[in-house]
Amino acid sequence: MEGDKEWIGTTYGNGWMHRHLILLLRYIDVRVLYVFSYLFVIPVCLILNASRKTAYHYFHRILGMGKCRSAWLTYVNHCRFAEVVIDKFAMFAGRRFKVEVVGLEHFNALAAGNEGFIHLSSHIGNYEIAGYTLCSEKKTINPVVYSGEKASVMANRNNMFLKTNIRMILMRADMGHLFEIDRALSEGEIVSFPTDRSNGSSKVIEHTFLGRTACFPQGPFSVATMRGLNVLAVNVMKERWTSYHIYVTPLDYDRSLPRKQQIAHLADAYVNELELRVKQYPTQWYNFFEFWK
Amino acid sequence: MEELIKEIKTNIIEVLNLEDMTPEDIENDAPLFGEGLGLDSIDVLELIVMMEKEYGIKLKNPAEGKEIFKSINVMAQYISDHRTK
Repeated sequence: MEGDKEWIGTTYGNGWMHRHLILLLRYIDVRVLYVFSYLFVIPVCLILNASRKTAYHYFHRILGMGKCRSAWLTYVNHCRFAEVVIDKFAMFAGRRFKVEVVGLEHFNALAAGNEGFIHLSSHIGNYEIAGYTLCSEKKTINPVVYSGEKASVMANRNNMFLKTNIRMILMRADMGHLFEIDRALSEGEIVSFPTDRSNGSSKVIEHTFLGRTACFPQGPFSVATMRGLNVLAVNVMKERWTSYHIYVTPLDYDRSLPRKQQIAHLADAYVNELELRVKQYPTQWYNFFEFWK
Repeated sequence: MEELIKEIKTNIIEVLNLEDMTPEDIENDAPLFGEGLGLDSIDVLELIVMMEKEYGIKLKNPAEGKEIFKSINVMAQYISDHRTK
């Protein structure tokens, strides 16, 4: 599959643009910006960005759709992506969305216990919404995030998280994030991992995903099985203009098996859940880089 | 110390799933990361957990971790000095 091999891990635009977007979103409805982006932003992005190729190939080669339908859905996919980016900034501006959680009891049961546990997510839908919704009074949530994100986005996230018990763990070259992950899990907290980007690690799990072999990072599965922790797949999918569904699904694996098999079983369970959600919401796949072999 | 070194190597092979290797394949002075054993960042976490589970040593400082995981010899010395079990 052609396209970007390495994801640079940043939100488009500079600090000035982000600040003004947030200011704008305090006064106007998000739907106004959606329509503006459909008409003026997305067509330009489709011309300038390589993401059109990865999205087109995803619809055409992976999902097996015809050329015209794939081209149209590439446009729709980018429009939906624009919506979730706008929603993210709308959250920074203080807006709230209607969110329905499917499987909240699984989260609540684990959050009430003493053990740490893990959230696995991918670049589908809008995971960031989960951070503001799936909260635990007892446990701190530690999302592991790419450290290359724009300072303005990180500052806004930090502002949002000041009132919550969410503490981001930045992936760093000095491996300090690994110590933070270990501390969080050993102290019974929640750690959330993106599970569809290897960030340069050679340790990947090749797994059939939507009929073709894809490379998933081994790290999140490895970390979970290291301590025999409970794992939840958390997928936040956009429904209508201003509403979301959060799907919380427990992922089972046999802790009595050798580690290697535990990792494989957990990866199986995660990929099956991800496949289910991607088939349910095919236009909300935003992993715009080379994922399939 | 020789016995501890062999035990550390066996534990590393087990936790990192280095199935094709034996303790004899791992040199005592070779770097564990990069050109030596070629371990990855996620392997650091495996080693941190191994240190806690097997030897009761809780590592908290990344800089310290970098020093400790330099080679099997360095690890063995640190474990010998700080182990609680």
